[in-house]
Order: sequence, then C-alpha cells, then structure tokens
Amino acid sequence: MRGPDFQQLVDRQYAPLFRFALSLSKSEAEAADLTQQTFFLWASKGHQVRDRSKAKSWLFTTLYREFLGRRRHEVRFQQIELDEAREEEMSIVPNINAFDSAMVLQALREVEDPFRAPLTLFYLEQFSYQEIADVLAIPIGTVMSRLSRGKAMLRQRFLLRERTLGNKIVPLQSERTKHG
Amino acid sequence: MDNREAKFILSAYRSAGQDASDSHFAEALEQVRRDPMLEQWFRESVAFDAGVAEKFGAVEVPSDLREKILVGAKISRPVHWSKRFGSWAIAAAIILIAGVGSLIWHTTRPARLAGWQMQALNVISSLVKNESTFDAQSQSPRDLVEWLRANKVPTAEKLPDHLNQLASVGCKTFSWNGAQVSVICFMRPDGGLIHLVATKVAGEKRKGGAQFVQQGEWTTATWSEGDKVLMLALEGSADQLRRYL
Repeated sequence: MRGPDFQQLVDRQYAPLFRFALSLSKSEAEAADLTQQTFFLWASKGHQVRDRSKAKSWLFTTLYREFLGRRRHEVRFQQIELDEAREEEMSIVPNINAFDSAMVLQALREVEDPFRAPLTLFYLEQFSYQEIADVLAIPIGTVMSRLSRGKAMLRQRFLLRERTLGNKIVPLQSERTKHG
Repeated sequence: MDNREAKFILSAYRSAGQDASDSHFAEALEQVRRDPMLEQWFRESVAFDAGVAEKFGAVEVPSDLREKILVGAKISRPVHWSKRFGSWAIAAAIILIAGVGSLIWHTTRPARLAGWQMQALNVISSLVKNESTFDAQSQSPRDLVEWLRANKVPTAEKLPDHLNQLASVGCKTFSWNGAQVSVICFMRPDGGLIHLVATKVAGEKRKGGAQFVQQGEWTTATWSEGDKVLMLALEGSADQLRRYL
C-alpha cells in the first residue's frame, strides 16, 4: 500500500480502532499501543490482503487478536453461559441523554468480556452482525445472543447509574406519558 | 415469532436503518408493525442505540496518536527488493566493522568519558556486534528523528548538515540514571559508521564549541544544544569527525 493510501486508511480507521481498543483494554495508553501495533502489523503484512475492501475488517480482527494474545498470559477467559437475555432485561430502556461520553465508555467497559467486544463493534455503527461475526470469528447466532445479552447488561449499568444520580433523570416513559 | 424472539433478533438491528432490507430482520420488523407495544420498545431501543453510538463516537482520541501511527509505520514499512540489497550491504559492513571494532573496543575502552557516554559507546558496540537490535530502522535520518520525538526521547533539534546528507541505519534508546538517551547510527561514504548520541543529563551542559576526546580508535565530539547534550562518535580521527560537525 502506497503512502497516501496508508494515510487515508489511518485517517478513516484510527479513531474507531482506538475506541474499540479502549473499550477492551485497561488504560488509554494500552489502547493507543494496541492501535499503533495494529497499524504496524498492517504496514508489514497488509500487502497480503488482496481485497482492499476487507482492510477495515482485517484491522479490527487483528486488534482483537492482539488484545486476546496479550490477555492470554494474564487471565483465561471465564466460560460464561451464553443464555439469552430475559424478557424484562430487554424491556427497560434508560434515558441515554442523561449520560456523557465518559460515562458511556465506562458502562461499556463494565460489560463482561465475551459481550463487550461485539457490543462495542455494534456501537461503532459501521458493523453489521455479519461483520462482527467475521471480526470475532464467531457464528451469527452467537453475535445476536451476545448483543442481546450485552445490551441488557449495558442497560442495567445505566439504570443503576440513574438511581445513583438521585433519580434526577426523567425516564423516557414519563416523558411519553406527559405528551400523550 | 413472539415478542421475545423479535427483541432478540432486533438487538442486532443498526439504528441508522442499514439493515432495513436484510431478510434476517424481515419477520421481526413485521412483528413490530403488528404490535404497538413492541413498536414502542423498538423505537426506544433504536433511539437508545443511536445515543450510545453517538456518545461512544465522541470519546476523545489522543491528539498525537495519528502522528505516532504514521511515523511508526513509515519506519517499519517493508523495504523493496532494491532497498533490500542496500540493507544487505549495510549488514555486511556492520559485520565487517564488528570483527575489527569488537577487538579494538575490548582493548581500548574509553576512560575519559562521562558515564552516559561510556554507556552509549557500549550500546553502539553491542549494536555493531549484533548483540542487540535497533528500536527503529530507516535509511532516512528524518524518519528516525521524528520517531524519537514521537516517543519523547531526546534527539537533536537539527541534525548537522553533513550528517543530514548521510543514510541512517537505525536508532536505539536507553536510560542512564533515569535520563533517556538516544543513539542514531549513520553510514559514512567510506563504509564506516558514525553515531549521534543525545540526552538531557543534569549538570552536563557544556559551554563553547564541541569538546573532542580521543580514546583508542574512538573519537568523540560533545556539545550542548539548548537543554540537550549531543555526542558524535566514530572509529577514526578527529579530522574525520570534524567533517560531520
């Protein structure tokens, strides 16, 4: 890949890649390092990717594998039962407008490991369930299951924060009722 | 399909509507149209997802990350075949110098240099003998200077003109008593190497021009540049070294 092409790829993908890394890792420094390492690997191995439309997917897959590789020495993934989210967990929708970016990031980071990566990719907006399945090398059904459960966990985090904020937030339900 | 199943499937539905025509969602979307309660949940859910995505997309990225990626990748970019030949020539020169240099180095270890300078020569010796590797490699000195700056390691503000015209081999960093030190190695036209060392060591500020120290086959010239101390070193004479100042 020539210089300007590489620069364009960096310009398009470095921010979402960093945010993905930030949701996975423990610190901003580690996220920046993961992002840099991913582009370093692209610079040395990216020429093997013949279909340039796969560059984005390659970058996210590589970053995720790099992250897993580093974690492998620290702690084994806990095997969590991937049961589907319960109906009530999916029903309550918190008022997201009450939270800022830092709180959203924090809530995402609190979601358990197997659910966090698909959830983060989903919220990077460009990723379909199929692309998430490709990046994480898991079946589509598992992607949907993890998204469903992960969203339920995320909502629980927000609802908990709403309560700790002293119930100062007006829930969407009340708003809607007020306006008929 | 009941509402529970519909909610499960719609968890993967993107809030901007990119999936509206995806057949996997067709039945669940049909269920949404049929059931007002589900429709209300879906509307709230899509708004929630859009809000999370927007706020997540606003998480700040370090201002220097882009620059670090570009500089780092430029240095790490695989060399073309023609350049690879040049690299082999450099490697051969280094091995040749290592043979002679290591013998001289062990018998004429400099004694009149400061600790960080001696350590720098040790590091250079180790690189020449292939006992350690460069932190970054590039034939462009400018790339190496940029890399060192991006990694916040002291380096020359401006390379001496004659040095700037040479091809570089690579750079290495190390720490001396808590102070960061950088070494950039250059290829001389006569096939030898010349090394630029930079640091910020307290109490090392030197007044006046470059101070020359000759020790065995090594000649060094040391001078101050702002808050940094720079040392140029080669295995050769002071006259040879002056050409690069």
